[in-house]
Amino acid sequence: MLTYIARRVLVSIPTVFGVATVIFLLVRLLPGDPARVIAGVLATPEDVDRIRHQFGLDQPLYVQYVTYIAHLLTGDLGISTRTGEPVTQEIFSRLPYTMELAVVSTVIAVTVGVTIGVLAATRRGTVLDLLISSLAVFGLSMPVYWLGLMLIIVLAIDIHAFPAAGAQDPLGFVLPSVTLALFSLALVARQSRSAMLEVLNQDFVRTARAKGAPLRTVLVKHALRNALLPVVTVIGLQFGALIGGAVLTETVFSWPGVGRLLVDSIFSRDYPVVQGVVLMLAVSFIFVNLLVDLLYAYVDPRIRYS
Amino acid sequence: MAIRKLAFLVVLGVVAAACGTSSGTGQTSGGPKHGGTLTVAIGIDPDTLDPAAQTTTTASQIVDMVVERLYTLDSNGATQPQLASDVPKTSSDGLTYTIPLRTGVKFSDGTPFNAAAAKQGLDRLLNPGTFKTQPGVLSVIDTVTATDDKTLTIKLKSPFAPFVAALTQTNSAILSPASLTVQGNTAAQVKVPIGTGPYTYKDRVAGDHITLAANKDYWGSQKPNYDTQVIKIVPDDPSREALIRSGGADVIVAPPLSDLPALASDSSLKVLKAKSDRTLQIIIDTVDTNQPLLQKVEVRQALNYAVNKDEIVKNVMFGNAVVLDAPMSKTLFGYCSVGSYAFDPNKAKSMLQAAGASGMTVKLGSPTGRYPQDIKVATAVASYLHDVGITVQGPQTSDWPTYLGHVNVPPAQAAFDMHFLGWAPAYLDASQQFEQFRPDRIPPKGLETSYYSNPTVTDLVVKAGSEVDQQKRKDQYCQAAKQVWNDAPWIFLYNQSFPIVYSAKVTGVGAFPNEKFDTRFASPA
Repeated sequence: MLTYIARRVLVSIPTVFGVATVIFLLVRLLPGDPARVIAGVLATPEDVDRIRHQFGLDQPLYVQYVTYIAHLLTGDLGISTRTGEPVTQEIFSRLPYTMELAVVSTVIAVTVGVTIGVLAATRRGTVLDLLISSLAVFGLSMPVYWLGLMLIIVLAIDIHAFPAAGAQDPLGFVLPSVTLALFSLALVARQSRSAMLEVLNQDFVRTARAKGAPLRTVLVKHALRNALLPVVTVIGLQFGALIGGAVLTETVFSWPGVGRLLVDSIFSRDYPVVQGVVLMLAVSFIFVNLLVDLLYAYVDPRIRYS
Repeated sequence: MAIRKLAFLVVLGVVAAACGTSSGTGQTSGGPKHGGTLTVAIGIDPDTLDPAAQTTTTASQIVDMVVERLYTLDSNGATQPQLASDVPKTSSDGLTYTIPLRTGVKFSDGTPFNAAAAKQGLDRLLNPGTFKTQPGVLSVIDTVTATDDKTLTIKLKSPFAPFVAALTQTNSAILSPASLTVQGNTAAQVKVPIGTGPYTYKDRVAGDHITLAANKDYWGSQKPNYDTQVIKIVPDDPSREALIRSGGADVIVAPPLSDLPALASDSSLKVLKAKSDRTLQIIIDTVDTNQPLLQKVEVRQALNYAVNKDEIVKNVMFGNAVVLDAPMSKTLFGYCSVGSYAFDPNKAKSMLQAAGASGMTVKLGSPTGRYPQDIKVATAVASYLHDVGITVQGPQTSDWPTYLGHVNVPPAQAAFDMHFLGWAPAYLDASQQFEQFRPDRIPPKGLETSYYSNPTVTDLVVKAGSEVDQQKRKDQYCQAAKQVWNDAPWIFLYNQSFPIVYSAKVTGVGAFPNEKFDTRFASPA
């Protein structure tokens, strides 16, 4: 097991290096002069040149690249050209907010999604199944932007139950989490339903029922356990995506997460922060993937890593 | 369930606490009410609160609450002394400014304000080692000397007539000298600004909010009335509107223009359509080689007649703008009304025909999301041009940095024949507006992207730049403006307004005519 983990970590090093290189080039391929964007339209050419020099943007590309990789190896992601703060600090000040939304919405998505997915599968073809499937389609197709505004109008403006924006209020996380959860919830519900349907038709389920095991036991212990693998995969992927920040949700709800940091940084051509966030995102995807793989072995004891 | 109950109790507690604060609002005899918290929602997360590195009014207006300058603007845009006690004495050659300073003023950290502090502030701005410092036009300063405790002498490298107006910019704000080494600050980079202003910096959660606390010892005759001001970062326009409608904010800037009538009719809210110095225009490539017809003055004038500015202001800007009658806004020193290109499509058509430009093709560019309604205005312009027989390719659009990259290029690389751009001088003087009409500001040396050049205009503008007689300067700018208007390097559109919406429970919300709100002395109504 430990060897397996060590091997996976080693294998991921070239991946991270590749991501670092690609994003370094990508941001520099974007049109727009970062020094001019930072300095603003009114700035004098001297001011723009000074800023370009302060950030080393006047250096040849290969020099910038070597500096960047050398700093990266020491864990230094550089200084934000927008705020002047270290990039690591920029990211770590935003990450807790993103994690909060990611965790809460994943918990909502998993508990509700799996429950209604299983319900729909066991009552296949009934009105309930139709309702749940419709809800899933609704969740997948509803634009986050619109849904978020509707929730704000009803729950924040009309009945003042929750704050309309910001992370300052202790209940501020509720609306963005719910908005964010709906998509994952729909995905998990659909996945659980189809996986359960497949499992429910198999011989061992019939056997379990035939030997007189209570329905609850059959569903939870026999069927669900076997149906969980694809569900875990979906959850893992979704969670990975959420760590990158949900840009639209964070914008509508003015949530100070990583997604908005990334967008602000792209719009101000803040190369170091864009590079840093994308790297962080790559690393967390690798980590979540590893976690999901390890979870497979736990969910399905037939899977062994050696 | 227990957790939910707990959450409910917490909410109750918060509500009770909030009620407690507002009921604590007291009233001094006859004066404004005070106490409590004012919540202001703005759209952009300020990049830095270091005065020397200011580039946006959004961040500057927050810095202005904390750190003050030698001179400031009043709500009409006139220059007034702030930390200076009077207008400066200017030497006859226009090179030496002797500025008398206020006495008895202290920074919020207790350090006394004096000429040495003021010198340090300006020197820091001019020091190329200061992080992202942007002296801009103030790089005209040669030396700053503290003559005595209450007199500052500034020598310029060359005469610069709008010098005092330029000192109203936030980048010249004076920090406490003692603050340069505390709270993570260094002489090169200031993260926590400490000044003489009516509020002090308390804390900040990046991307979420900035908290300011009242400076109880503020020197001015007007005092801060709210104990605390929270500036929330709410990037989405509809979300800011939702926030003020839900009571989550007391003041918001830049609401969605289309909703302003509804907001104005809400009795619990007030709408302030503050003046702005931003002109919006379609800039024409006056040396265009792709479409050489645009090099002709008559063609550019015809384009001005072809566009119905009044309808654009009324229907696309929802009335939040005034049609330009000069190549600058009314709020600038040097403004005079110079004319109008009244909407006349038939005249436009015949002028185009006479110039052999009927049915010409032009490529139009516009940013999206940079100015209120930007791409919609550009689309409307394209449609009016189409009506007089012009084939318009576009408006081609992109995000701001990309767009700026396309536009900020020397003539040979011009990507568009015409492009939509706004221009808002940082200080209210025509000199910075005329950077748009000076050939020595053509990219890469500036952002004069019409590539317009008229020796008459250049001559007048250069003269006005060092003219000490204010009336003469005014006349020179007026004359130059008339020439520019006639040469039509732009399709002159409008001067937008800067709407602010605030709760009826608040009074004393103001603005400066350069797109800055002013809640320094706001108080509970």
